[in-house]
Amino acid sequence: MTVSTHARRTRAHVSGAASTAVRPVLESQRRPARVLAAFPAGVYLEVRTDLEPSVIAVITGDATRLPNSVLLSTPLPQLTVGDEATVGDRTIDLGPLSLSVRRWWDPAPPLGRLDPARLAEAEAALADPPGAGLAGDEAVEQLADSCARGWLLGAVTAAERLVGLGPGLTPSGDDVLAGLLVTLRHLGRAARAERPQWLAGWLAATVTFDARTRTTPLSATLLHCAARGEASPEVIAVLRGIAGRQALEPALRRLHRLGHTSGADLAQGVAIGVRAVRSLSGAR
Amino acid sequence: MSSLLDAPPRVITVGAGLLDEALRAQAVPTTPVAWRPPLPGTAEDLARVLADPRRHEANEWAVARLVSARPHLVGVRRASEVLGPGVFLHAGPPITWERASGPMRGALIGAMLLEDLAADEHDAADRLAAGAVALRPCHEQATVGPMAGVVSPSMWLFEVRDDEHGGTAYCSLNEGLGKVLRYGAYGPEVLERLRWMDGVLGPALAGALERTGPIDLRWLMAQALQMGDELHNRNRAATSLLLRELAPAVVEAAPSDAAAVLRFIHGNDHFFLNAGMAAAKAATDAARDVPGSSLVVAMARNGTDFGIQVSGLGGRWFTGPAGVPDGLYLGSYGPADANPDIGDSTITETSGVGGFAMAASPAIVRFVGGEVADAVRATRSMYEITLAEHPAFQIPGLGFRGTPVGIDVTLVARTGLLPVVNTGIAGRVAGTGQVGAGLVEPPVEAFTSALRALAEAIK
Amino acid sequence: MNGLPQAVLVRRGTYHDSVTLMRVSRALSELPGVHAAMVAMATELNVSILREMGFGVPEADPGDLVIAVRARDTDAAVEEADRQLTAAPRPEENSGEQPPLTTRSAAARGPADLVLVSTPGEYAFFEALDAVEAGLNVMIFSDGVTVERERLLKERAEARDVLVMGPDCGTAVIAGAGLGFANVLTPGPVGVVAASGTGAQQVTCLLDRAGTGVSHVLGVGGRDLSAEVGGLSARRALRMLDDDPGTELIVLISKPPAPEVARAIEALPLRTPVVRALLGPGAPDLTEAAEQALRALGRSVPEWPSWPAWRGGRATPHRIRGLYAGGTLSVEAAAVAGAGEFTDFGDDAYTRGRAHPMIDPALRVEALGRAAETDVVLMDVVLGHGADPDPAASLAHPIARSPATVVLALIGTEGDPQDLHRQAGAFREAGAAVFLSNAQAARHARSLL
Repeated sequence: MTVSTHARRTRAHVSGAASTAVRPVLESQRRPARVLAAFPAGVYLEVRTDLEPSVIAVITGDATRLPNSVLLSTPLPQLTVGDEATVGDRTIDLGPLSLSVRRWWDPAPPLGRLDPARLAEAEAALADPPGAGLAGDEAVEQLADSCARGWLLGAVTAAERLVGLGPGLTPSGDDVLAGLLVTLRHLGRAARAERPQWLAGWLAATVTFDARTRTTPLSATLLHCAARGEASPEVIAVLRGIAGRQALEPALRRLHRLGHTSGADLAQGVAIGVRAVRSLSGAR
Repeated sequence: MSSLLDAPPRVITVGAGLLDEALRAQAVPTTPVAWRPPLPGTAEDLARVLADPRRHEANEWAVARLVSARPHLVGVRRASEVLGPGVFLHAGPPITWERASGPMRGALIGAMLLEDLAADEHDAADRLAAGAVALRPCHEQATVGPMAGVVSPSMWLFEVRDDEHGGTAYCSLNEGLGKVLRYGAYGPEVLERLRWMDGVLGPALAGALERTGPIDLRWLMAQALQMGDELHNRNRAATSLLLRELAPAVVEAAPSDAAAVLRFIHGNDHFFLNAGMAAAKAATDAARDVPGSSLVVAMARNGTDFGIQVSGLGGRWFTGPAGVPDGLYLGSYGPADANPDIGDSTITETSGVGGFAMAASPAIVRFVGGEVADAVRATRSMYEITLAEHPAFQIPGLGFRGTPVGIDVTLVARTGLLPVVNTGIAGRVAGTGQVGAGLVEPPVEAFTSALRALAEAIK
Repeated sequence: MNGLPQAVLVRRGTYHDSVTLMRVSRALSELPGVHAAMVAMATELNVSILREMGFGVPEADPGDLVIAVRARDTDAAVEEADRQLTAAPRPEENSGEQPPLTTRSAAARGPADLVLVSTPGEYAFFEALDAVEAGLNVMIFSDGVTVERERLLKERAEARDVLVMGPDCGTAVIAGAGLGFANVLTPGPVGVVAASGTGAQQVTCLLDRAGTGVSHVLGVGGRDLSAEVGGLSARRALRMLDDDPGTELIVLISKPPAPEVARAIEALPLRTPVVRALLGPGAPDLTEAAEQALRALGRSVPEWPSWPAWRGGRATPHRIRGLYAGGTLSVEAAAVAGAGEFTDFGDDAYTRGRAHPMIDPALRVEALGRAAETDVVLMDVVLGHGADPDPAASLAHPIARSPATVVLALIGTEGDPQDLHRQAGAFREAGAAVFLSNAQAARHARSLL
């Protein structure tokens, strides 16, 4: 399908709700984009821009709300990989639709105060997520141990090895790193602990530096989001569970159900993060 | 503390469509209510009744009693053991001879003849007009009767006991279809059959039930619903199940009459109806007299009036004119031959079966007219005016969802939806018998006047 | 009546809400060859309006729909009315399923968090009570609920641990989702508890403009902080925001509460700082309240945008006429302007039997037509969810034609569906001076005298 600039007038105007993560891209000037992947419940659009996230997920109610999502209020049209689109000036033109945003949601909602004593309990609940794609992997072990010890060089080295490691749209290594980054950001802030946030800053810089060349475009975008603490509601729910704002076990089960191994990989990252925050904040 | 603020809300919208549209445009999931104003003139009564602090819990309590009843068939008794002297029972709210319709009069005449209280039909009519017999509603004697529902001393009654709450209820034995007393026929064949039922059927069943012990009707009715009965206009499965329970004991209790008794039961697909009605009566009686409850505990018609009783309002009747059913007619009969709605069998709908369970009974639609989708729609609509879903009575075609049970007067007034009632149609001329079967709509004023009384009962 | 044929049809037991019917009536009236048209439920009020319009209305009750047209071709007009009515989305037409007919039934069907009630006021109590009994939070957009019933609902809500917003709650925002009349806001640290919908809209729009987001806006209804209701909802809403990790500052917008309610609020053990915007004589205006909130968060206060009138030089005006859709905005403007004649077209007296002026501009268009050369017309236009999708389309022309000087407060955000800048441009083009701050608009109006 080709989209000419004149076709805009004939498009159906629809609306939806967007993550504030995609606001910079949406509010800048119009840029070309193309469909990177298409599923029944959503498409990923790659936008030609230096801003991040550069990949936007346009989804319907059934899909996972990735932190770079725009949720449509209407059904998704038939689209195929390679279809062109434009993003910007507060609008996404996609196939027969011209989509504008009527609601913004925060993909990194604050957790509030965390009682560090809760971390021990959470660590037990998070141990050994079933079905993690990199269970027993040496780099993952190194990442976990280095983070827990606050050994920056070890953590950065392990993280570099993990970027892009594994098959699929979001390789397992990236998911582990994303889970870790989000956890360090949120739990570090919630526990008022400096060192986890310091560690998060270095890891974020490491994994985002050349993510675009080391992994898939979608996964690179999600790493950029995670570096800022932005995640899908399933991950945020687990962090809220750890903070005692909701039940942890059901939230964890919902996270595990995400994707093929994505949920388990994210949970593994969260577990590494919890252990690190616990030891680095002196709560052990 | 409430978790309202944790995520964008899932919203039920009721009222202006514009506000629902605005939410959907934000990709906020909504469940819109197809709201409409309540029945005219009910708004103030509704406000008072809904605000009654007793109502919510009273209704929960009352409907919990209704659905937890465990009626068992424990025996049959001759009505003379239950009735006072000089009393006949009849269906529906109270009625006098003067206001009685054709089939009601026919059945009362038949009872006079059966009891040898009159020389012929004219004599019987004169005596009834002169008040020779006291007429009382079945419902006031813990009894229900289909169609005319006339019970006289030499008729036999099913006796059903509610093992959960201890109540007892009665219903006459079913005579079969065609020319029968309950449809107002009183010819010689009608009286002859009733005499056989008195002399043979009653005693044989009494003996059989002594041998079987109590029969669990809740279980039996739940099974029958899964076998395509709705337990008002279709009782084929339930009758078969009951016959299976009774047959060996009948043979043992009355060896010489067993064949005739079993053949009689087998020949009447509605034989179970009366046992089911007694079970429904026992269950609904358990829900009576809960102060503040707006639950309907009886719906009944006497061929002239359609009346309801409400849990929070004791034994008071709230009536409106009985409607003429809409349905299919036998042979050359047509709507002009039909009598207004009659019978206590609406106790089935009151207890969550009958018209409320139509979706369980695709076969019924051929009997009452309509399509299978109509039956499903009828059942689905009844969830809008009922307080509960029956835990035991389930509908396979709706994913084993419990039948809608427990009509709430306030929900009827708010939605304007009236209970769906399946019924037989009696001929309007005394002595005719059954002319058809179909659906009937209760009169709205029975419900609005009950609502008014509930409002007035609140201090 | 002017010789055209007329037709009046009653559709028994057909119900549509008043906003839908207003849209259909308006669309019919605009058809060529149609002189007058009204499609409405046969309430007492609507029947009397129809009679005033010269239509003979047969016996009908409030549950019946009346279609009345005076047109060259009445059949075609009625046909069009039916077409529009069937096009209006009705829940039962979505599928073969039985739609829920009551809130009780809807609540039994699946998980929900909140019920939004906008039925005619006399029935809103039934649905709100269903919500509370089902353990759901409820926003009552409808007005016309008695104070006794409001109190009863809020007491029962306390027992069920749920929040009742309203009655007459026009605005709420929950985690970004705008309910009723609300603006598209960026998520952020300010939580609002408001007894006034338009008051909340003014404050949140200014905050949004300043780049400071809003966590939630919880409306409580105009009477909540009275002695009769006791601030039950406001106290609960404050506790909820206090417990919300995303809320760093609370703004409480209300008329001055009853003294005992003020004490009860004072006694709440809140950890989150609260900025009070207690409207009334001598109190800071809404714009100052927004500025206070910004300072409390350590953020800078920007210059509020305005779009000066391009036309001027009319006769020097003598008096201010306030034509408002928002009640609180009208009161605020009157207080700031000091003198003038203010009308709140959102008041019950003007909305009985017709839609709110934020949706239906007719009454204000008429009022603009009556303004004199020596008047300053001061008015508000509120953007956002639920409001007129293009207010300039119906108001800009009457403003341009009016001999009066027009000053306009435009309450909206850049994210609003109506496009704030396009609206501001259109009103300016029509000759109005446009302000994002209502208080500044009122001050400007006063300066013109």
